Amino acid sequence: MITTSDFKRRVKDPGDVVAGIILLCFSIVLVFYLVPNYINEPAILQNPMMSPRWLPEIVGWLILLFSILLILQGFLLDRSSEEDERNIEKGSTRRFVLMVVALLIYVALFESMGAVFTGILATLVLFVAHPVRTWWVYSMAFVFPIAVTFIFVEVMNVPLPIAPIGF
Amino acid sequence: MENFSEVIEIFFSLDNFLAIAIGVVIGVVVGSIPGLTATMAVALALPFTFSMQPVAAILLLVGIYKGGMYGGSITAILIRTPGSPASACTLLDGYPMAQQGHAKKALKAALYSSVIADFISNIALIFFAAYLAKIALNFGAPEFFWLICFSLTIIISLASGSMIKGLMAALLGILLSLVGLDEVFGSQRFTFGNYNLMDSISFIPLLIGLFAIPEIIEFYRKKALPHIKAKASGAGLSFSELKRCLTTIVRGSLIGVIIGAIPGTGATAAAFISYSDARRRSPNRANFGKGEVEGVAAAEAGNNGVAGATMIPLLSLGIPGDVITAIILGAFMVHGLTPGPLMFQENLSLIYALFMGIMFSSVVLLLVGNVAIKYFSLIADIPKSVLFPIVLMFCVYGAYAVNNDTFDIWVMMAFGVMGYIFNRAAIPAAPFLIGFILGPMFEDNLRRSLLIGHNDLSIFVRGPITWAFIALTVGSISLALYRFISARREARNAAAKSQEV
Repeated sequence: MITTSDFKRRVKDPGDVVAGIILLCFSIVLVFYLVPNYINEPAILQNPMMSPRWLPEIVGWLILLFSILLILQGFLLDRSSEEDERNIEKGSTRRFVLMVVALLIYVALFESMGAVFTGILATLVLFVAHPVRTWWVYSMAFVFPIAVTFIFVEVMNVPLPIAPIGF
Repeated sequence: MENFSEVIEIFFSLDNFLAIAIGVVIGVVVGSIPGLTATMAVALALPFTFSMQPVAAILLLVGIYKGGMYGGSITAILIRTPGSPASACTLLDGYPMAQQGHAKKALKAALYSSVIADFISNIALIFFAAYLAKIALNFGAPEFFWLICFSLTIIISLASGSMIKGLMAALLGILLSLVGLDEVFGSQRFTFGNYNLMDSISFIPLLIGLFAIPEIIEFYRKKALPHIKAKASGAGLSFSELKRCLTTIVRGSLIGVIIGAIPGTGATAAAFISYSDARRRSPNRANFGKGEVEGVAAAEAGNNGVAGATMIPLLSLGIPGDVITAIILGAFMVHGLTPGPLMFQENLSLIYALFMGIMFSSVVLLLVGNVAIKYFSLIADIPKSVLFPIVLMFCVYGAYAVNNDTFDIWVMMAFGVMGYIFNRAAIPAAPFLIGFILGPMFEDNLRRSLLIGHNDLSIFVRGPITWAFIALTVGSISLALYRFISARREARNAAAKSQEV
């Protein structure tokens, strides 16, 4: 029976094996479910290579093939030097969570509250996340969203949403 | 003569000069800040170009590209942190020079070699792009089909790290490029009933997501590192020192031009090849790696010699040579232009106006570079904790501006997460983007060939050009396999040696 430690010893690059397995599953779903169900094929085709399904199917099979090779690579190839680059020293969870909050602010409030308001709010959240300790830097959180919105809307004529209260 | 006056008319506008100047400044500033890349800056600047004239828009992006190539060397020299991967070679001699109190000399050497290399690269672009485009006018759909196959294989085979991952990234890029309505039959492909996806995935949110968001996520995920302050001190570069480096600079520039003209090879390879060539030939070879000014010049010449040359396949064949030219290709498309041989027939004046702008950008780079050396410490002292919230704001505004739809912000975020996963799994993002761009071209030329040949597959081997591209494609795959096998053998030998020890 293969134990977890045996498995770990045999796998030279677990990252490649995991990535390979995920891509293998994805390619199976792609070839056998997504392509047949989410691409309509015309009733009459003069050449199967003209079909809208042809290239996605080929790509799907190639992903399947290469994901198997990636899994094998994970078992056979020692990429420990590359692994070092991939490993990062994680920071505090608070910083990361606040960054996610800032992203959600942009997605959730951008259209309803306007570019300036969400820009200010999200930038303040990110300043707090790090945190930025120089007090006057917080004024940037107000200056930049206003200035950049002005450049987009007034100078470059690229429309951005404006809040109901007028900015 | 009529064309010439039209070129002058298109080029000599305040907008174009401003676009080049602003572009180079942004490029140098962004390139000199570690963590911010020229690719990211070009992607973020793209939405700003929507309302601009095509020439000014392209020149802005080209300016950022060129400024970014030079800017990367500043931090490499001063704080041993390359602003871009291509500047990694510059620090080998640049940083020891800075430690010996010759930072200013190293920065000046980097600037002058960058400008000379950029100029030589631009000349090569002007001469070869038109010539190549003339040849490419004889290409039909089957020739383009094989050209795209060749470009895909060469880009993937030269992707850094694992070849399998490069291939996988390119395949995922091709797959996602197929989302939307099929151009021939109008069938929906992977739209899942979402009308936002009918017109395929928006290029700009994808771009911003892939190249800007992962850096931001990584910054907030990683442990905060102390901010390092930099200072450019010491004497500048003397004329005799520049003269001594001149041969190295010209040779490095030519290496950069050759490498840049081949899609997918990139500036990093050019910098290292130029550096090792200079070390092999130099009488001061013993001083290389310990603070040799020729080493800085060689690395920067190779690195910047690529900039103009990567535009050769883009303008003449419509094939992007690297990620930045892929973004510039997107900019052409946003402005209703399709680079390629036909552009040399239909928009010749515009092409020559672009050439003039690109030449002018070398002069601007010289001026801006000199100022950047003087005031650099101000730029480098902006901490990332202040910079990244503002970069994120640009990302969101830029993504939204494409279609005025929050859906594009979601697309940007999704590709940002994907880019972050790519980084963590060491999957290169460049083949993904190239696959995304070349995927529809591949399918389009395949189908057109079949239609022209009445479904007869012999159309794909119809003449010497197709055979030449088939040979190049097979050669490129063979080279990639050879590199893969050699790397495996070397790794095995190294492992065996370490076990013996």
